[in-house]
Amino acid sequence: MTGPTENGAAVAGAAVGAAAGAAVGAADGPAAGTAAGTVADVAGPPGRTAALVLDRASVAYGDVPVLEELHGTVYEGEAVALIGPNGAGKSTLIKALLGLVPVVRGRIEVLGTSPDRARRDVAYVPQADTLDPDFPISVEQVVMMGRYRKIGWLRRPSAADREHAAAALEQVGLAERARHRFGTLSGGQRQRVLLARAIAAQPRLLLLDEPFNGVDAVSQHTILEAMDALKGRGTSVVVSTHDLAIAHLACDEVCLLNRHQFGFGPTDATLTPERLRATYGGHALELRGDRVIVTQT
Amino acid sequence: MILFEPFHLPFMARALAELVILGALAGTVGVLVLLRRLAFVSDALTHTVFPGVVIGYLMAGEGGVFWGALAAGVVTAVLLTLLTHRRRVSEDAALAMLLTTLFAVGVVLVSRQTGYTADLTAFLFGRVLTVTQEQLAQTGVVTILIVVLLAVLRRPLTLRAFDPEGARAAGIRVGLLDLVSNIAVALVVVAAVRAVGTILVIALLIVPAAAARVLSDRIAVIVPLACVMGAAAGWLGLAASYEASVGHGLRLASGGAVVLILVAMYGLAWAAGVARRRVRLDRASGAAGLEALR
Repeated sequence: MTGPTENGAAVAGAAVGAAAGAAVGAADGPAAGTAAGTVADVAGPPGRTAALVLDRASVAYGDVPVLEELHGTVYEGEAVALIGPNGAGKSTLIKALLGLVPVVRGRIEVLGTSPDRARRDVAYVPQADTLDPDFPISVEQVVMMGRYRKIGWLRRPSAADREHAAAALEQVGLAERARHRFGTLSGGQRQRVLLARAIAAQPRLLLLDEPFNGVDAVSQHTILEAMDALKGRGTSVVVSTHDLAIAHLACDEVCLLNRHQFGFGPTDATLTPERLRATYGGHALELRGDRVIVTQT
Repeated sequence: MILFEPFHLPFMARALAELVILGALAGTVGVLVLLRRLAFVSDALTHTVFPGVVIGYLMAGEGGVFWGALAAGVVTAVLLTLLTHRRRVSEDAALAMLLTTLFAVGVVLVSRQTGYTADLTAFLFGRVLTVTQEQLAQTGVVTILIVVLLAVLRRPLTLRAFDPEGARAAGIRVGLLDLVSNIAVALVVVAAVRAVGTILVIALLIVPAAAARVLSDRIAVIVPLACVMGAAAGWLGLAASYEASVGHGLRLASGGAVVLILVAMYGLAWAAGVARRRVRLDRASGAAGLEALR
């Protein structure tokens, strides 16, 4: 996605950080003015289909708003990084894309429909360390869970299901660990198994929640490669991360988040020192004018 | 042979059938309790089913016990599901107070009866030797119902136990699934109430599954193993209590004997598990040693 539309909204968003609540009204102005243009964007340029449309969406748990005024589009085969400090609402946005957290204002469209209707074609990869390492389940059984939707509740997995699961495990480089218990693998390997489970589901949209946290170099490399392969097949990827280098390396777009949106657009153009400072508050340091280090995440 | 001889008596045969079915059922559902960490739910159920049993008995005699227990069990399962989904279980002091209060209501109601201590013991610890055909049939129906339910729901149940967020993301209605799980546990407690009582059923639910888990890392093995261990404990416990009472004049309550056998099984499983891991480690280090020599 590109265009002056979203950049305009992003700059306005950055101002919110500078002047807190007062700027919200100001952000309304330009965003409202361009809303119509964005709806036209949904159809996209010829040959590009929008996988994800955030149309001035606000997301809330009950009465408590968590994310406000999200605006942007991700096309098929593109990856977007969600960047922001802890508690910024990255996980909440991922849950909203799954239809598990309600959109209270605006609109979120996933694969051309509402998030809960799109779920069938969306795969979610949780953080590996949130799962019980003592659970009696083997690596191949975890991957086969990705096929449950296609297998149903009663049928035995077919040869095709087994092939998909085996290929997915191969893709993350863990084919020889298929029969090991999930919990005996390292953190990075477990993260790769969960990614394989998502790949086995053949999704059109992949959601990854902090997949690089505490992950070894080999696993990081494997995950990045698998993301690229999926993008090549037309799958769109949403990945939340603290790692700006990974955003540069693997993502076409970034979405800077901290309760509000501080920028949404092409990675290089959007990851500017000003926007990062706005997103992270006082926890961003500038190095030599063009690089930013985030000191607290 | 004490393992077979006593069961030629019709009442002993019925008791045996009841305990073996209950052991197998509780062992199977116990795996769900283990993987979903529902020990707390089982504990709460034993407290709330007790007053249900007493009220059912006061209203309709022996025949009312099952229905009183069933009503109390299902209501508890529904309330616990709602409570856990609103994340209010952390208020455990309030919950503990409520559970003890309900239990006390049961005790107070029983104490107004004339044969009070006898009744109290029967409700708390069960009376397996007086099991009737009708009770056996009820236990059988509950068992078939639950086994079919668990077989049909095995995939969503496994996914939900392993990865709750992933289950929600996959479109599984987790709240409904949790209600079904809690009701399954409640039905086991209800089915077991007259034979082993509300207290000992906890052991039937927890111990065979825990022992099976020590012996295997695969659910497909753990479930049959827990089922067989539960059934075997029912059989051995009943035989032991018969032999002690009839052969040696030692009164040994069958419910207690079943639980002690279960605990002994767990001890053996644990020892076997330790040995198994040691063998594996030896093999691994042996292989590593060979590797180093090359």
